[in-house]
Amino acid sequence: MPTLDPAPLRVVQLTKRYRPRHGAEGILAVDHIAFDVAPGECFGLLGPNGAGKSTTIQCISGFYPASSGEVFVGGRNVYTHPKQARQVLGVCSQDETLDSDFNVYDQLVRHASYFRIPAAKARHRAQDLLVRFGLWEKAMEPVDNLSGGMKRRLQVARALISDPKVLVLDEPTTGLDPDVRRMLWEVLGEVRSQGTAILLCTHYMEEAERLCDRVAILFEGKILDVDSPEKLIAKHISRESVEEEVRPGVVWKRRPNLEDVYLKLTGSRLGVEGL
Amino acid sequence: MRIPDSMWGLWCVWLRYFMVFIKSLPYYLATTFLEPIFYLLSFGLGVGSLVGGITTQGVHLSYRSFIFSGIIAQTVLFQGFYEGAFGAFVRMYYQKIFQAISITPVTLSEVLWGELLWDASKATVAAEVVALIGVVTGDFPAHSLLSLVPLCFLSSVLFSAMGLTAAGYARNIDELSYPQYLLVFPMFLFCGVFYPIESLPAILQKIAWFFPLTSVNALVRSLTLGLPLQVQAIPLLFIWLVLLVYVARRSMFRRLVK
Repeated sequence: MPTLDPAPLRVVQLTKRYRPRHGAEGILAVDHIAFDVAPGECFGLLGPNGAGKSTTIQCISGFYPASSGEVFVGGRNVYTHPKQARQVLGVCSQDETLDSDFNVYDQLVRHASYFRIPAAKARHRAQDLLVRFGLWEKAMEPVDNLSGGMKRRLQVARALISDPKVLVLDEPTTGLDPDVRRMLWEVLGEVRSQGTAILLCTHYMEEAERLCDRVAILFEGKILDVDSPEKLIAKHISRESVEEEVRPGVVWKRRPNLEDVYLKLTGSRLGVEGL
Repeated sequence: MRIPDSMWGLWCVWLRYFMVFIKSLPYYLATTFLEPIFYLLSFGLGVGSLVGGITTQGVHLSYRSFIFSGIIAQTVLFQGFYEGAFGAFVRMYYQKIFQAISITPVTLSEVLWGELLWDASKATVAAEVVALIGVVTGDFPAHSLLSLVPLCFLSSVLFSAMGLTAAGYARNIDELSYPQYLLVFPMFLFCGVFYPIESLPAILQKIAWFFPLTSVNALVRSLTLGLPLQVQAIPLLFIWLVLLVYVARRSMFRRLVK
């Protein structure tokens, strides 16, 4: 009964252990994580490489089966009803997965067909997205002619082609110039103001602190804590300010930030004093 | 009437391949259709004029007719295998197209079926072009064009699945050369494309029947040249077909879905 479930994305005690290989026990990549993302909310999954972020995303899209637990997208169980669940899900994976056999515009129209979006609507939506992402001038170019930053933007745009209720972004701004990153942030702001729930995986602390209403710190497959960036900072960093020697003899005194929380919770205190 | 979602998924994937095919038509015309025609000319006209006539299964026919029908089977083998192996490997490993489509409402299962059906469609068209040339030169009856369609299509699925299996297991693109040199080329040389396998020693004949191209050759020659039907070819072909499609899908699933 999907109507009883208001959260566009619900992750319930999700656990993923990879298949054992060559007799060795499979790696436990995700360990009983649980969270909901509300309409219009941006939820951050913050963690170092190997923390289980990408595995979580693969399980949320239903591409990897979970070892245990459930994922509901738009109220639909992604494992039992993958087609219906993915109908309202847009994913931008960390890998570049653009279809280089098509140009920028056709790429989006083709992707829309997988969602069974009528061609006229798909064309309209593709144009709208390309304009918003500043790629309209490149519409007829082959994908391989785009710069790395443009490809990244195109992939985020492609994830939005079906006007999803849930948008999952895995490291969307890696390799982007600061101005392009800000432009992407703006677009994400518009997207969430229309009620789309966003799951943002990133290891950019500043990005998480700026964009996310709530952040989960993921470490070795477990969520160590979840809260708004401000509350996380207040909860874990007792001091008003922290001091950090950024270069020999140069000490910065600054307000504590999410990075300090992250370093404290994940047990690493490299170079930061006074936590 | 609304097409069921899974059919739609399959159709979308097939259509994606078809659109790439249309966009790159000159490339595909050169690689898909020209190659069998070269074989046809070289062996049919060149070697054919040296050999003249041969007798196989008690039927006397021109070597040119014999080789023309062999090239149909060879086309199915090469086109099916290469698209399933190298084509799919590029799409899966470099372009990551399988992965991109499989997180939309189209599932990986549908993507893999779409891949096999497209590969087989293309190989079937290529084989039909060879058959058409044979009809024009008077080597085959016109109605064989029709009866060849289901045979070529199913055989193409079989060899595409063989290629897709290779793509599923290969760690890098170079490893696809193993099945190419150890499986595809030997079949091409020993399964009756160039000569009736009765000419081989008895033991090699038995081995040749183990490989699916021998069955394809036997059935193609029944349809195009009216040679007596070798009944064992039918179950052999179906066993290979089911087995390879199963293994191909399994290898891809195991590789991609962790």
